[in-house]
Amino acid sequence: MTAGLVLLLLGLLLLSGSAFAAFCWAVGDGQLEHLERAPEVIFDAAEPIGEPGDCFPDARSRAAMAKAAERP
Amino acid sequence: MSDLLRSLDPGTPSDPRSYVERAEIDASLRGPVLLFFCSGIAWLLLGSLLGTLAAFKMSFPHLLDSADWLTFGRVRPAHLNIMIYGWASSVGIGVGIWLMARLCRVALRHRGLLMGAGVVWNLGVLIGTVGILAGQSRSIEWLEFPGWATPVLFLGYALIGVWGVIMFRFRRPGHVYVSQWYLLAAFLWFPWLYATANTLLIWQPVQGSVVGAVNWWYGHNVLGLWFTPIGLASAYYMIPKVIGRPIHSYYLSILGFWSLAFFYSWNGMHHLIGGPFPAWMISASVVASIMMFIPVLTVAINHHSTMRGHFHYLKWSPTLRFTVVGAMTYTLVSLQGSLMAIPSLNNLTHFTDYTIGHAHLGLYGFFTMTMFGAMYYIVPRLVGWEWPSATMIRWHFWLATSGIAIMVASLTLGGFLQGLELNDPEVLDFLSSVRVVAPFRFIRACSGILLSAAHLVFAVLFIRMLLRHGVRQVGPALFSAPEKPGDLPAV
Repeated sequence: MTAGLVLLLLGLLLLSGSAFAAFCWAVGDGQLEHLERAPEVIFDAAEPIGEPGDCFPDARSRAAMAKAAERP
Repeated sequence: MSDLLRSLDPGTPSDPRSYVERAEIDASLRGPVLLFFCSGIAWLLLGSLLGTLAAFKMSFPHLLDSADWLTFGRVRPAHLNIMIYGWASSVGIGVGIWLMARLCRVALRHRGLLMGAGVVWNLGVLIGTVGILAGQSRSIEWLEFPGWATPVLFLGYALIGVWGVIMFRFRRPGHVYVSQWYLLAAFLWFPWLYATANTLLIWQPVQGSVVGAVNWWYGHNVLGLWFTPIGLASAYYMIPKVIGRPIHSYYLSILGFWSLAFFYSWNGMHHLIGGPFPAWMISASVVASIMMFIPVLTVAINHHSTMRGHFHYLKWSPTLRFTVVGAMTYTLVSLQGSLMAIPSLNNLTHFTDYTIGHAHLGLYGFFTMTMFGAMYYIVPRLVGWEWPSATMIRWHFWLATSGIAIMVASLTLGGFLQGLELNDPEVLDFLSSVRVVAPFRFIRACSGILLSAAHLVFAVLFIRMLLRHGVRQVGPALFSAPEKPGDLPAV
């Protein structure tokens, strides 16, 4: 096996190793806890859950989307 | 209450702080993000032109061959590298910057660093493209830019990577959303890949067949560990935000990210099945490719379940329409890629147009469509103006979707028939495999016209947007404005 292949294999192991190190940090930092509420983190008072955030810039699309958002 | 728990508290609707915070972050991002978007679109137009020209040259070899710089051997790699580094990377960086700042919930730090990085990056793409057209191509797929352009690109990217780490370090304490994981990984992995590949191929070049191994390790990983994380980060943010519903299963999203991180970097060698390499390397790569079913299916199930009951929003939201098409294509192209790693199928598709169709499905059908979706969401928030024409957005969508569908269908079918010819022991004439694929190549070239038209429509729309052309509309991007306008800082 050439030196190039050894270097390549080292690169592969380092890439996977970096992922493993990041995983260990995530576990230690508590990032894998409270996952039930984690998806809500991107919403806030300005862009709350239940409010659609985009539509085509014409009146018909806006009205239809607003109506759909009012559905239970 | 811990920082992590506090970060999960969305606040109250009457609290003006979130409006102000959001507007401050968007205002701080305007210059750098628009720089990457503007330059990306310019490269997209040039890359489309060169790609269409190269495709027609496959049917009409003497087309525009009077000048050296317009010959196929230069136009094709110029198209490829412009699309990867000029378009896809630039727009990916722009979207990544915006998402990272939004998710870190801090205004942009070191704006000058990013602006400088944008200028240096584009300078690198420019001199690399000129180098290829001048005949200085390196003949290493995905790394054709001449050696003297590489340090410029690397410097530009290094500044961006440093910024990404700084932003993450100074983020508001709390939960790291799955999109942040993808972005952070992409910002760290790309310089690693680029530096390693250039070291092994340019500065301390390996010899012989190992060149192929390094080349495919880089080529495959740049798709899976650079473009894919950015595309998925965007999809995991845009889909829930547009429909106003959190991701179906956060557990699945976390599983998808970590399985991609652990398995993907081993995938590239499946392009070398049958080549002069140790058998264990190929086998490890094939196994890792099949393991990719885990992250792909978790993402697919999660996105589909999030969208369930909300598919009618596709009629009304350009962001959602582009992003969902991109996300569905991600599933399709990833499963196709895993299956192509199976040696029996690889024997048929290798060295044919099938692989080229697969690459276009990934970089365009998945990544580019997802980026278009993100830009439709981000740009109105940066310029404080709604998109001026719904009709042009619809033209953009249908031209792009029909163009890529026709392109991939023709390349896939043509490549399949080409593979059958190449593997048929009764067929002794190599030219018969060329003849069988010729009509499909012509159809593919025509589909390039559709894609170029889509890009032209988008570029005109984008320029109109920057110029704030048309009547001011109270649009969806702005409909979450606070009740008291004075709460918002001027943008």
